[in-house]
Amino acid sequence: MTGKLKLSQLWALTLLRVLIGWHFLYEGIYKLIKEGWSAAGFLSQSKWILEGFFRSLAENAAILKIVNLLNIWGLILIGISLILGLLERAAAIAGILLVGLYYLSTPPMPGLHYSIPMEGNYLIVNKNLIEMAALLVLFLIPTGKFAGIDRFIAIFRGKNEI
Amino acid sequence: MDKEIKKEERRKRGFTRRDFLQGLATFPVLGAFAWAAGSANRKRRKTTGTSASSTSEEDNKNELNVALVGAGAQGSVLLNSCLLIPGLRFKAVCDIWTGYNLKRAAGMLKKYNQDVNSYEDFGEMLEKEKDLDVVIVATPDFCHARHTIASLEAGINVYCEKEMSNNLEEARKMVLASQRTGKLLQIGHQRRSNPVYRHIYEKLIKETGIIGRITAINGQWNRSFQPDLGWPAKYEIPADKLKKYGFDSMHQFRNWRWFKGLGGGPIVDLGSHQIDIYSWFTGVNPSSVLASGGIDFYDRSTRDWYDTIMSVFEYNADSGILRAFYQTINTNNSQGYFENFMGEYGTITISESANRVGIYREPSSPAWDEWVNKGYVTSPLIPQVTEASEAVLDVRESVPQEKYGIPVNFTDPYHKPHLENFFNAVRGREKLNCPGETGFETAVAVLKVNDAVEKGITLKFNPEEFKV
Repeated sequence: MTGKLKLSQLWALTLLRVLIGWHFLYEGIYKLIKEGWSAAGFLSQSKWILEGFFRSLAENAAILKIVNLLNIWGLILIGISLILGLLERAAAIAGILLVGLYYLSTPPMPGLHYSIPMEGNYLIVNKNLIEMAALLVLFLIPTGKFAGIDRFIAIFRGKNEI
Repeated sequence: MDKEIKKEERRKRGFTRRDFLQGLATFPVLGAFAWAAGSANRKRRKTTGTSASSTSEEDNKNELNVALVGAGAQGSVLLNSCLLIPGLRFKAVCDIWTGYNLKRAAGMLKKYNQDVNSYEDFGEMLEKEKDLDVVIVATPDFCHARHTIASLEAGINVYCEKEMSNNLEEARKMVLASQRTGKLLQIGHQRRSNPVYRHIYEKLIKETGIIGRITAINGQWNRSFQPDLGWPAKYEIPADKLKKYGFDSMHQFRNWRWFKGLGGGPIVDLGSHQIDIYSWFTGVNPSSVLASGGIDFYDRSTRDWYDTIMSVFEYNADSGILRAFYQTINTNNSQGYFENFMGEYGTITISESANRVGIYREPSSPAWDEWVNKGYVTSPLIPQVTEASEAVLDVRESVPQEKYGIPVNFTDPYHKPHLENFFNAVRGREKLNCPGETGFETAVAVLKVNDAVEKGITLKFNPEEFKV
């Protein structure tokens, strides 16, 4: 690192972390409590180079069940991790992978159209990609040791460098 | 070197108050999240009307004994819905197609641990099953009166499929029997219990009158061509048995809906559901009907009833006169099925297929913000205005209407809420949404359409008139 971050910069990054965590957590909780929620609809919309792979996940009931469980609990655990600043770097990487899958399933490539309602207009870059980039920032400049449970972990291991 | 010293210092300093506060700084966010998510969930449940589980436990202890009469296509639909409702114990199934329908229904119930007695003869069933609380009648229309009246007189509550009868004299006797015996009779116009329809009726039609005075209704059911129903040769019912139960042939038994004296054709099978909504929403029965129809597309030698009907009703509602169009065709399913109510301030498009529901606001209507805030309708989607659409906007065209939604999410099988309403009424918890009296009024309105087609009172054109 070239220099120490200012306090205001650290708090701003903490805010970003908490907001992304909130988003993940609610996406997971919503799917958990909504009766009959399934990723099948989303997966069967898949287009582009991994279309075959994502659609095949939706077609097999046993696999779909596992996909749904992993998705729901992945979202919830990543969300809690980011909000609390607990194992933040691992959560950031897991989040990038998970959102990366969403992105690859329905990427806004030129000429592709989806029937999923979207509230904006996107070309190659969409909110999934931006959230992935934000998670990359959190991975590289973690704030859990500044404001988060990771601070306690660092102290116990005798390190408190941010 | 420097770093090593710092580490040492840190260790010596130990755990400070600041470490504690900062380490837990974001913890309250979880509390805020729990509050927000809990509140969102309560609001969602309120609009979807998820019922409390305590009543279902109570119902399981106090089961209703049920028999299904008529286990064909519609009987299976009702059976599937019943299997999702707690507190029911199926005791008997009755169907004259013993080798097929009866076997299938009994087998299905067995899978759900409901051991039932199977009967071919309805009278025998009533005689032997002494502890029935409820009979579900899903036989052909011409059998409804016989099965319903006998059940009511045996002291059993009846859920009878619509049309309550193909014969108004018999329909009247059904209502009288329920009044005489004091037993409940629900007619299967299941939209009357559909949460989407109930929300629209109670909040948008009755309470707020959101679309103002209704002047026109347009309802349609467009269905694809369907070949005659067949049957596996080994399950053919012998001719004398068919005769005994009122059918001339196996073809007639399978396709009874298309035959005079047995059913009422598409206007009754399909139109009845929707014309029922016309009376419900307008609050009055029609004052006249004119209709044109015929067996235009199907093979006339294989059926009696009209495959195509277009009809116009007139209603004298309290708010004024209004006209209602109804069409059913059985050749092409474009536009599917819907009912469209058009008023001075907007349009309500409603359908049993939920993705078609929309509330459209006339640009001149008073604002609907209050109804959005009250949660009666949901805000319109931002319209996608493109330059191209502006280019074709011409002075004669009106400003497009904004489409509002309704905050009701209904994903259960269509018939489940109506059956639940019936069972809850039997348990004394609710009033019937479609008692025999209401079903009778709808039967009168609907059967008159076939009469109107048959009598064909129209002004004919003479080809000479078109010559100059």
